[in-house]
Amino acid sequence: MNRRKFITNAGKAAASMVAAPYLLPSGRLFAASGSRVANHVIFVLFAGGIRNQESVKQQYLANQGLPTQGNVMPNMLAGAPPTQNLVYNPWNPVLSQPLSQQGTLFSELRYSQGPTGHYNGHTVAMTGNYTETGLNLNVNPEFPTLFEYYRKHSDPAKSALNAWWLSEGLGPYPSLNYSRHIEYGPQYGANYLRPATTFGNLGDNFLKEALNYQPDDVQRLHKLTHFLNSNFDRSGMDAGGVINNEEDRQRVKAFITGILNGTIPFEWPTPTGTQQGVSGDLLNIGAAWKVLEAFQPELMVINTFNLDICHSNFTGYIDFLHKADYGIGWLWNKIQGPEGAALGLKDDTILICMPEHGRNMQPNQLRDQNQLAAYDHTSDQNSREVFSLIVGPPGKVKQGQVVGNTSNPVGESIDIVPTIAHILGFKDDIPGGLLPGRALTEAFA
Amino acid sequence: MPASKYLTGCLIALLAFLASCQETVIQETVHDNVIYEVDTVSIYTSNVEKDKLKSSIQFISILYADLFKQAITSATLARLDELKLSIGDKGLANEMIITDFLQDAGVELPSDADMRNDIASFVNDTYIRFYARQPTEYEAYYMASMIEQDPGMTPALVYLSFMLSDEYLYY
Repeated sequence: MNRRKFITNAGKAAASMVAAPYLLPSGRLFAASGSRVANHVIFVLFAGGIRNQESVKQQYLANQGLPTQGNVMPNMLAGAPPTQNLVYNPWNPVLSQPLSQQGTLFSELRYSQGPTGHYNGHTVAMTGNYTETGLNLNVNPEFPTLFEYYRKHSDPAKSALNAWWLSEGLGPYPSLNYSRHIEYGPQYGANYLRPATTFGNLGDNFLKEALNYQPDDVQRLHKLTHFLNSNFDRSGMDAGGVINNEEDRQRVKAFITGILNGTIPFEWPTPTGTQQGVSGDLLNIGAAWKVLEAFQPELMVINTFNLDICHSNFTGYIDFLHKADYGIGWLWNKIQGPEGAALGLKDDTILICMPEHGRNMQPNQLRDQNQLAAYDHTSDQNSREVFSLIVGPPGKVKQGQVVGNTSNPVGESIDIVPTIAHILGFKDDIPGGLLPGRALTEAFA
Repeated sequence: MPASKYLTGCLIALLAFLASCQETVIQETVHDNVIYEVDTVSIYTSNVEKDKLKSSIQFISILYADLFKQAITSATLARLDELKLSIGDKGLANEMIITDFLQDAGVELPSDADMRNDIASFVNDTYIRFYARQPTEYEAYYMASMIEQDPGMTPALVYLSFMLSDEYLYY
């Protein structure tokens, strides 16, 4: 190489070093380019399979041969409650204004493809991709979850303490905090809890006495394990599960033991503030508030699930629907109240609710104690009809707007992930081809 | 009777007697009554032999046996497995379960004085107890040094570090 060529090449190399983008720790080349609508998103998978008939259409018992209609979800929807043939114990709304008036209601959203199973419904909502997998297997999904998109494509990179998934039950749901996608996976996953177990009898028996070590001992432990691991070729990451850094892990540990030993008082989302009338869904919602209070995550997904009792008990379904509605109202009240303001959540949080799927138009053969017919969900058209509610402060979310109707449905289940990516400002950084849905931008001011 | 004939007759009589009264001893072993005791031995000559990840059930069973020196009941095993499922950070779940166990009086935990009286034996025993192998010379030396140089290093912390280490996840 002659001198002239060397100088030219060296100059080009130097120029490219200055001009070229830096590779960020998150694996991206550039910082997130989109601006945020809000800094916190709570996605409630209002699950268990909810028919639009009993929710947004407010038909109550009209499909049971009784001429009684009315709104059993007074915290989420505007409308008068039923006044006769009450098969549930009505609780006074916790909100003075229903959430549909504090946001935008997509009244006819569609779950367009694949079997309407619970695992499918959850997976579709949390990955933004339809799935044909019909089994409720405890297996990480094929496509990345919204947690992974969020953590990988946010800048600066977000720790797992910023992303939480809380489920009412176990079954296949613990596996939804990250996918088996080769480009994503546990390093971008969310913290997961099933509060009924962690904070229930099992946690009480086996976790309550777990020691919260002093920083000196944490340091010693770190030193020892570092030495032991340095003498072993394989990685503990292969064991699966999301991995918090040491500091965050100790914070989560202190949180769990704090709830178990009562130093972090648990609040019951019921009218009396006690366990009276509490359901598994309300326990999950109460735990969600505690996580928000402790960590102020930017992204949280929780589900309700007790409504699945509708397979055999329509009365129970109505009761749980009413209670889950109360819980959502209670949670929003906390976020928008003084406690939420102190935590920086007020007016900076967007709440999204959507059932994972609906239920059949035709009932099955079972009747409950009130002789009301039960409903399954076997992928008929009715079980593909759901709603979504996007709630947020004025200026961020359009208030009191209803989008779509039966003859003109707007939105799909796969649209929630891109919508959340839009809110948190990383939608444009997600590689093409991964998300077939669109952001429901009609909801935003 | 000549002596030889007498002796022959006695021998035949003796053989006939032995043949007619042969005792048959049958030893029955009832396996349910056999008591197996935990006897910690080295299984691995090197940690390179550990290439399979323990399942959650295996991890809990082995952990329990290593700490309490007795087998876990199936009911407790199922409950702990469910508890582990309920926490997404499996390392955290393990840490919490182990530290909770370490508070249990049933855990065979040497005192700090015992550990410091013979650090070399403690290190050796700990490697065998949790890793089912002897430490290498380097491991034995370095681990002993860490204990020796730090008065705050307790047997519980050492045990915990072994049970939280990557090697303990494998067999």
